[in-house]
Amino acid sequence: MLSAASRKYPGIRAPLLLLLLLFYAVPSGAADTVAVDVAAVYASNDGTSIDPALGTIRGKLRSMFNYTSYRMLDRKRRSLSVGETGEFELPGRRTMRATSLPAQGDKVRLSVQITDGPKNLLATTLGLRRGGMVLVGGPSHQAGVLILLISAE
Amino acid sequence: MDCGTALGKIIAKADGLLPREEAAALAGHLAGCPACAAEDAAVSAAGPALRALTGIRAMEKAPALDAMWTRVRAGIGESRETRRRSSWIARWVWIPAALALAVSAILFYPAETDRSPFHPSTFDVAVEDVESEVATVALVDKGEDLPRVIWIIEDA
Repeated sequence: MLSAASRKYPGIRAPLLLLLLLFYAVPSGAADTVAVDVAAVYASNDGTSIDPALGTIRGKLRSMFNYTSYRMLDRKRRSLSVGETGEFELPGRRTMRATSLPAQGDKVRLSVQITDGPKNLLATTLGLRRGGMVLVGGPSHQAGVLILLISAE
Repeated sequence: MDCGTALGKIIAKADGLLPREEAAALAGHLAGCPACAAEDAAVSAAGPALRALTGIRAMEKAPALDAMWTRVRAGIGESRETRRRSSWIARWVWIPAALALAVSAILFYPAETDRSPFHPSTFDVAVEDVESEVATVALVDKGEDLPRVIWIIEDA
C-alpha cells in the first residue's frame, strides 16, 4: 500500500522516510537511558568570583570548600543506554568515562573512571537517583583544583 | 529521348519535380510517342484520384480521430491534476515531519553543552566502590543538604 502511494505521489517518499527514521531513532522509553551531565569547575583562591552558570550550586560549593573562586570550564552531557559508555574530555588532558549499569526504579548506576593519561586516577561505582548529583574533586589544575559536578537524569 | 527515360520524366512531372527545359523535351517525345502519351495521361490522372481518395478516407476517420484526441486531452488533464495534487501533498507533508523532528530533538537529544543552571533534586548518592591506582581517595559527606564528594588526593 505504501509503495503504491509512493508511486502515485512520488514526492511523499522522502518525508515518509524521515518519519520512519525518526520513529526508529528516538528511544522507545526515556527510562532506558540516562543523561549524564558533567561540569568541570576550576576552584582556586585566585580572585573571588563565582561563575553564575553554577546556579544554586554556588552556595553549596562555598559552604563545602575553602576556595574563593569557582569558574565552570566546560560542561558536557551524554545520553547513555544501559551498558553504553560515554567519554567526557576534561581539562588538563584528563578523561572521564561513564558507563550506565542496570538499575531499578528511578535509580541510576554509573561506573565512572577518571584517567590522567595512562594513570587511573579514580574508578568508582555510583548509585544515584534521577536528578541527583555527586561531586568528584581534587585533581590539580593550574593554581587550584578541578571539581566535577556529575549529575544524572 | 527513349521511352525508358521518358517514363522516369513522366513520373517526375506528375510529382512536380521535372525542370522546365526537361518538360519541353518530354513534351516533344510525347507528341511523337502515343504509348508514352497514354502513360503520361494515366499517371497525371492518378494523382488527383489518389488525393480525392485520401480526402475521403480522412473524412471517414475524422470522428474516430476526434474521439481519440478527446481521450488524449482528457488523459493529459488528469495527469496534470494528479501531479498538482501530489506536489501539494509533498509540499505540506514536510511540516508535520519537521515539527516531529524538532520536538523529538528537544525532548530526547538535549545539547551536549547545555548551559542551564544546575538544579539537583537530591544528593542521595551511594558510592558502591571506589579505588585509585595513583591517589588517595576520601569520601566527604557533610549532610543531606550538601552533595557527597569524592576527593582525589594525588600522591606526590
